Amino acid sequence: MHLKFKNKKITGILSVLPNNEINYLDEIGNYNFSEKQSIKLGKIMGYGTRRIVNDNTTVSDLCAFGLNYLFENKLLDKESIGALILCTQTPDYFLPATSNVISGRINLGEDVICMDINQGCAGYEVGLMQSFMLLDTGSINKVVLLNSDVLSKKVSIKDRNSRPLVGDGASITIIENCKNEENIDIFLKMDGSGALSLQIPAGGFKMPSNIETSELKEDASGNFRALDHLVMKGDEVFNFVQTKVPELLHEMFDKLKIDKTFFDYYFFHQPNKFMLEKLAEKLEIPYEKMPNNICEKYGNGSNNTVPLTICENLGEKAISNSYKVCLGGFGVGLTWSLIKWKIDKLDFCKIINY
Amino acid sequence: MKDELLEKLAEILEVDQVSINDKLESYEEWDSLTALTIIALADSDYNKKLTNDMLKEFKTIDDIVNFIIN
Repeated sequence: MHLKFKNKKITGILSVLPNNEINYLDEIGNYNFSEKQSIKLGKIMGYGTRRIVNDNTTVSDLCAFGLNYLFENKLLDKESIGALILCTQTPDYFLPATSNVISGRINLGEDVICMDINQGCAGYEVGLMQSFMLLDTGSINKVVLLNSDVLSKKVSIKDRNSRPLVGDGASITIIENCKNEENIDIFLKMDGSGALSLQIPAGGFKMPSNIETSELKEDASGNFRALDHLVMKGDEVFNFVQTKVPELLHEMFDKLKIDKTFFDYYFFHQPNKFMLEKLAEKLEIPYEKMPNNICEKYGNGSNNTVPLTICENLGEKAISNSYKVCLGGFGVGLTWSLIKWKIDKLDFCKIINY
Repeated sequence: MKDELLEKLAEILEVDQVSINDKLESYEEWDSLTALTIIALADSDYNKKLTNDMLKEFKTIDDIVNFIIN
């Protein structure tokens, strides 16, 4: 699906990371593999440090903390917010929506529309699409998009397949109407036949959590996880990404009559360092144009990786400069997406700690 | 092409050379990371989609070579 929008601008991005840092090397004793094997894996996959929330910290905590920071520092006027969109797969509750919870915590008015979106790795692009649609109504001039997950709570500490990847965090992106006739192009694809390639089997209504779903069981490769934990068919996801993302990028280039030199940056989701490196090689895009430094430092924060990558790699530079960017996400759903847009002189672009 | 692939497999398996009749499980380095590296090699250098399930069925180097080259 190719969607076109106009007259929208990001005016600021703030990322919130938990203070608590974990080093991959400190955890290899938890895994059912030799130290040598795990060290080799870490080198190839690019595992370093990750930021993980404490047991009692939730998505609404990270988001409310970031929003209060923006209010206190006069970077966001509470009265100007028309909608609060939260993209998360680790909500505080099944119901109510966590965006409603956040709205209550920061005392937003009754005219602010709250909405949760259940998307992961492509959640930034899907969240932006929803934000654009609300802005197009003409009744809303500013949308606050929240991208946050605390998936570390849902990976087994004895699962070397998923545990070393996952980091927690939140990002807040402000999107506003502006005068700019240049097209913003969204390319979005979904393949529900692969919906269970990446999943948490138990805990929903299909398989409610009970004592049995919390039992750790060994898989064929020697990882221990329960049905309550996140499980990923890494090889299938790898093949999906290497096939579908290049296809979609070429579709974008053909339809928009541009080539890969058009963009200053490709801010893509970062599943792990290895996978994005392989993708950059396949797309023949230079590494310096596709930043790949989030996983080794903060971990893969699911739908939070793209805005965090922008904050980490542009930071202050985004305040005075303008960049042509291709935003990209791919993973759980299966969902994959690209957006052609501009990052143009933001009011703020930074990372704070929780 | 076949010799080149054998060289690449030897490098991944951290041995001087591999021969087509070698049993995959006889390699010290035969593990899930090696499997992923071979999946990535099949994709990037040969444009073939290899999966863990297929690798589990494969017994020898020859099985990998046949899949990738044919």
